[in-house]
Amino acid sequence: MLKIDNLKAGIEGLEILKGINLSVKKGEVHAIMGPNGSGKSTLSSVIAGNDNYEVNSGSITFEDEDLLDLDPDQRAHRGVFLSFQYPVEIPGISVSNFIKAAITEKRKVLGLEPITAKDLLGKMKEKMDLLDMQKGYLSRNMNEGFSGGEKKRNEIFQMAMLEPKLAILDETDSGLDIDALRVVANGVNKLKNSENATIVITHYQRLLDYIIPDYVHVLHNGRIVKSGGKELAHELEKKGYDWITKEADKKWG
Amino acid sequence: MGLIENIKEYQHNFAGNSNREKAYLSFLNKGFPTTKNEEWKFSSLKKIISHDFTIEEKGLKLSKEEIDHYSLNFKHQILFINGTLTSKPNINGVRINKYVDDSPIFNSAFSALNAACSNIGYEINVDPNTIIEEPIEILFLTKNSSNNFIQYRNKIVIGENAQIKIVEGIKNLSDKYCFTNMHTNIKLDKSSNIEFNKLQNNTNSQITIDETNLTQEKNSNSTVNTLLFGGMFTRNNLNFAQNGERCESNMNGVVILDENEFGDNHTYMDHKNANCESNELYKGIYLGKSKGVFNGKIMVQPDAQKINAFQANNNLLISDNASINSKPQLEIYADDVKCSHGCTIGQLDENALFYMNTRGIRKEDARAILTFAFASEALEKISINKIQDLAKKLIAEKLKVDLSF
Repeated sequence: MLKIDNLKAGIEGLEILKGINLSVKKGEVHAIMGPNGSGKSTLSSVIAGNDNYEVNSGSITFEDEDLLDLDPDQRAHRGVFLSFQYPVEIPGISVSNFIKAAITEKRKVLGLEPITAKDLLGKMKEKMDLLDMQKGYLSRNMNEGFSGGEKKRNEIFQMAMLEPKLAILDETDSGLDIDALRVVANGVNKLKNSENATIVITHYQRLLDYIIPDYVHVLHNGRIVKSGGKELAHELEKKGYDWITKEADKKWG
Repeated sequence: MGLIENIKEYQHNFAGNSNREKAYLSFLNKGFPTTKNEEWKFSSLKKIISHDFTIEEKGLKLSKEEIDHYSLNFKHQILFINGTLTSKPNINGVRINKYVDDSPIFNSAFSALNAACSNIGYEINVDPNTIIEEPIEILFLTKNSSNNFIQYRNKIVIGENAQIKIVEGIKNLSDKYCFTNMHTNIKLDKSSNIEFNKLQNNTNSQITIDETNLTQEKNSNSTVNTLLFGGMFTRNNLNFAQNGERCESNMNGVVILDENEFGDNHTYMDHKNANCESNELYKGIYLGKSKGVFNGKIMVQPDAQKINAFQANNNLLISDNASINSKPQLEIYADDVKCSHGCTIGQLDENALFYMNTRGIRKEDARAILTFAFASEALEKISINKIQDLAKKLIAEKLKVDLSF
């Protein structure tokens, strides 16, 4: 589904990603872990299409299409979704109107009939139940005055509504207390199926207790320096990142 | 020749009327304001008044289709075609007549000129305790074969405990310039209420100078909503005077201009009595090479204690070539008052645009949605759904998107 090949990218002339290779197949859950400043958020921003970042070389293909050629909205229409680490507040637009605009546009691009108001509302209610969200949510302005937990829940709610093929969850656990974490993770698990894939980006292992990854990758200094199964996450939790990063620094300097 | 010469030639039409002559002399004395005048610093009329205008020309015939096209189809309609009052509604408790006023009351060059030569206008008298839910639509249509200078002078008197809603629109149907100098005085008796909506989605051949003066007796409530969505040159002077206690004055504005359009909103809130309130919210959106001016003055007189006055002017510059000059002015001579004002000028939030983009919303639509969201706070103050819906449609048109907000 997703293939990243020797991706080098940065911001304002500073190279942050120094050659990323990653392959994600449908049905898989990948976790990308790493200390602060390792390039985790840069990677998710580049996949989503944030043009503040420059791609210097390498490629990202998504279902055999060059993703780097597409605008962020086109990537979304193909089925890429990024759950933001810091969701943006948008005063003056309610959650329901926002979602309506996003779904309407996607269906238009895909040549589908517009969704009826009734169907849309029904679907929103169903997904809100899944995420244990209060009714009042829909009429509140997008992320305005939301607590950290509410913002993250709203991200997963959008994901549930948009039904992406590839979801990238960027530090979704930050700002969540343990109950909220459980609800959000439960939501993500329920949305998972054999046709879609998830990339979980996180600093800590704790989210991976709830969203069990098939593969764990350690990102350090712009490179994936170690990959393994879910047990790698437990090892990192016990031993920290040092043993891997020191080894890597010896290799790449 | 230019407009001032055209006016001098027109002078014989009111020769012998001492009030009009007095106003005329005052106008000549003042002359058209130039950018040397502080109140007109950013609003240059120089080019406009260098053109020749015919004054109160008879105009071309309008077809029924044209009239219907510009009509908003409210049940009550006052219609002026080329300066002639052609229809007016019959409403119980409301008297509507043609109004010709030559009282020498004026405070500016344009109001003096209006007092000197205006022969066109309406007068609405609302009887005490009369409540009219359905808005009265007032439509001024013109169509001319040459540049035309036209002046309306209107008066609304609202009796005690009475309530009305007005929707006003000006439309120039020709591509010749129509220069409108409009003067409207509104008097609110005790505990009366008005909502006045100015729909200024004018064409780029329309030039408008509007002066609207509201005087309020105690417990009265007034709201003026200005929707400035187009026009070559528009200057609104909106003045409120509170003559009694416990008055409330509200002014809301949404300005969205493009290309070379120019729009200037000057407001003056005169708090003359204690325990009153005023709320002012103007949202400006400037595209293309458009220019905007906002000047909001709040005066709190010495005896006007316990005043609550709020003013905000927020602006979005969508294009690098657009500009806005915003100037809040507070003069406070009482010590127990709450006054706040805020003025912001900014661009659309790039992070929000990217965020919406990643959700599949096209850049153009994301911009339009954010822009609309910016204006919505002021739009929500309009109580007439039909006007709100029309405003939304016009904003989408102005932003060139096919969206229903």
